[in-house]
Amino acid sequence: MINNARLAALVRKEMIQFLRARFMLALILYMYTGEVLMCTFAMSFDVRNLPTVFTDFDRSAESRLLAERFRSSGYFSIEHMTTRDPEMARLLNRGEALAVIVVPPEFSRRLAEGSPASVQLLLDGSNANTAAVAQGYAQRIVLDYALERIRASAAGPVPLPVEHRPRVWYNSELRYAYFMVLSMIALAGMMVGVITAAAGIVREKESGTIEQMMVTPVTPAEMIAAKMMPTLTIGLLALVPSLLIAAWIGVPIRGSLALFFLFSAVFLVSSMGIGILIATVAETMQQALLISFLVLFPILFLSGTVVPLESMPLGLQYLAELSPLRHYMDAILGIFFKGVGLEMLWHRVAAMAVIGVALLAGGILQLRRRMR
Amino acid sequence: MRSLIGAVIWKEVREIRRDPVTVSFAIILPLLMLYLFGSALSLDVKDATLAVYDLDKSPASRALIDAFPHSGYFRRVHDIRAETEIAQLLDRGNARLVLVIPPDFSEKLARGQTVGVQTLADGSFPPTAMVVAGYAAAIVQNYNLEQLRKAVSAAGHGAAHLSPIDVDSRVWFNAALKSVNYIVPGLLGVILMAFPPLLTTLAVVREKETGSVQQIFVSPIRPYQFIAGKMIPYAVIAFMEMLMILAAGVWWFQIPFRGSLPLFLGATTLYVFCTVSLGLLISSVTRSQLVAMLLALLATLMPSFLFSGFLFPIFTMPAMLQMYTYLFPARYFIEIVRGIMMKGIGLEMLWPQFLMLVIYTATVFTATTLLFRKKVV
Repeated sequence: MINNARLAALVRKEMIQFLRARFMLALILYMYTGEVLMCTFAMSFDVRNLPTVFTDFDRSAESRLLAERFRSSGYFSIEHMTTRDPEMARLLNRGEALAVIVVPPEFSRRLAEGSPASVQLLLDGSNANTAAVAQGYAQRIVLDYALERIRASAAGPVPLPVEHRPRVWYNSELRYAYFMVLSMIALAGMMVGVITAAAGIVREKESGTIEQMMVTPVTPAEMIAAKMMPTLTIGLLALVPSLLIAAWIGVPIRGSLALFFLFSAVFLVSSMGIGILIATVAETMQQALLISFLVLFPILFLSGTVVPLESMPLGLQYLAELSPLRHYMDAILGIFFKGVGLEMLWHRVAAMAVIGVALLAGGILQLRRRMR
Repeated sequence: MRSLIGAVIWKEVREIRRDPVTVSFAIILPLLMLYLFGSALSLDVKDATLAVYDLDKSPASRALIDAFPHSGYFRRVHDIRAETEIAQLLDRGNARLVLVIPPDFSEKLARGQTVGVQTLADGSFPPTAMVVAGYAAAIVQNYNLEQLRKAVSAAGHGAAHLSPIDVDSRVWFNAALKSVNYIVPGLLGVILMAFPPLLTTLAVVREKETGSVQQIFVSPIRPYQFIAGKMIPYAVIAFMEMLMILAAGVWWFQIPFRGSLPLFLGATTLYVFCTVSLGLLISSVTRSQLVAMLLALLATLMPSFLFSGFLFPIFTMPAMLQMYTYLFPARYFIEIVRGIMMKGIGLEMLWPQFLMLVIYTATVFTATTLLFRKKVV
């Protein structure tokens, strides 16, 4: 089915064509490096330096101490001080402040009496997640303050009754950044694999050169194998700068890099399988690109790259098993974070291989039908 | 003059109608995105599920445990009997938080010693894990406060420093803290930035690739006429996409719409022209559809997703990246849409964002016309 000399000639042709598109090579490289770097810094859900208005109706030593507590926590950045209602509303409405802390007039007097006091917190809910996180931080700061006043009031040192020891299972905020790096690398591979493969074949269809191929002894399998070579080579080479960035950021690399490259190769081939299948359906370049996009988006979303799969409806979770990206993500997380080897991950690579072979077989059959 | 623009529009409309892929792309993808982001991506943390592993089983431990459901943030769903259950519950996502009370809890408490209480939060999705962990910490502190007040006042040290301080918090614009309420308006900014520019870019680059743009060059049509003719059909498609998303958001996801509809329509019209011209700008610097697509992906979709405040708040980003967000119109538009829909504010507050969008659109359109002209001559 595959003749080596013919294949070598075809690969040479594809390589020349691929490398001539300098601008596209630059874009691919950027996806693997610049985009990875930016996402790592941009994608954080944590709340730090929340722009805050401090409204002090009490103007006492106590209220100033409380303001200091909020400021030094690092979570709130007190950027405005005002006691005028319309000003507060204006700042919240314009988004110049996302939180308002209000200390009511009787605050210090009530503290001195030992009667219950309260602090009011107004939050901008237009990012509900930020508001919820900030609410938790504010409560803790105020409670800490109240606790310390009580502990200071006793004659001797009073130990804290209950110490909270929180642990986050699976992932901390720091590890989310690491996770994002790997996730962006996988996304880049997926996009490059699908789009370049689809475009490579449709280009020949559109320009009519595929008809010339049909009259030569070249078989569909040879043609597809040759089409995949440049993307596979570039896709694997581009992983090197990505890995350097990952290492620089501090992503742990516990497992074997050779295994990582092996998995990446299988993954790239199966993503190109998707692209090739798209190319056999599409008639024009525009169609090929739009269908690629239409197919890519749900795959990216459903593969646990941004949102964990576990939090999705069960039906979607089963659907995700068909996505090579889902298996690849799971495998590289295992290689990097847990340092596990092939004995734990063989089913992932097997799944990717099965998906890839099925897609390629479909593509070759379609192409063969057309070539007759 | 007019009829030349009309001719380009008509030609484009016929091409779109002939290509079912383009039409279905323009309709299906926005709805798919809306479904996935609106339903499958939930950042809500109301009523987080709580599992309790109480090794003490004393009145004191029960008091702490009860404080969790009483806070209104947690729903107690399971009592753990063996340690092995903990991992299972978290792995299966059956509990967002596990509370572990050690066997000597009441004993140490009675002796006045500090006792550690562990909480395990499901961290597979950090945004919700952080919220849940934050609430848990506040509940424990509150319990401490009560304990200490009792202890200190029992020791007779007077009431002077014993005030409890509570935080009376109110959330504006989204009192229920529902995530769809801010995701859907934001998604409008992302979707309109993702697809209309891509379609316009391809519409122009396609003609370059097939060579039919040469015929345009030798025809009497002026660059701005050609560009306007290419722009208008896609702007209309984008506008319809917007209406579709708005309808689905208001009727299906039940998100509030508090502000003025005419102002909203004005803002989206402006934004649609902005995104479509951005697509044309991309098309003027590329000759291959593949490159155009990748460039559109990197210059429009990614930034509008990451650097617009859609999901990831801008104020936590490093200063350099905060400046970078000003380069993309999605940021201004999302602020406008959330302002109108969630806050119900009008032009008196939102004029800076509107002004930026106008300047942005004008700049992009002029740049596109200039770049295109060079090639005509």
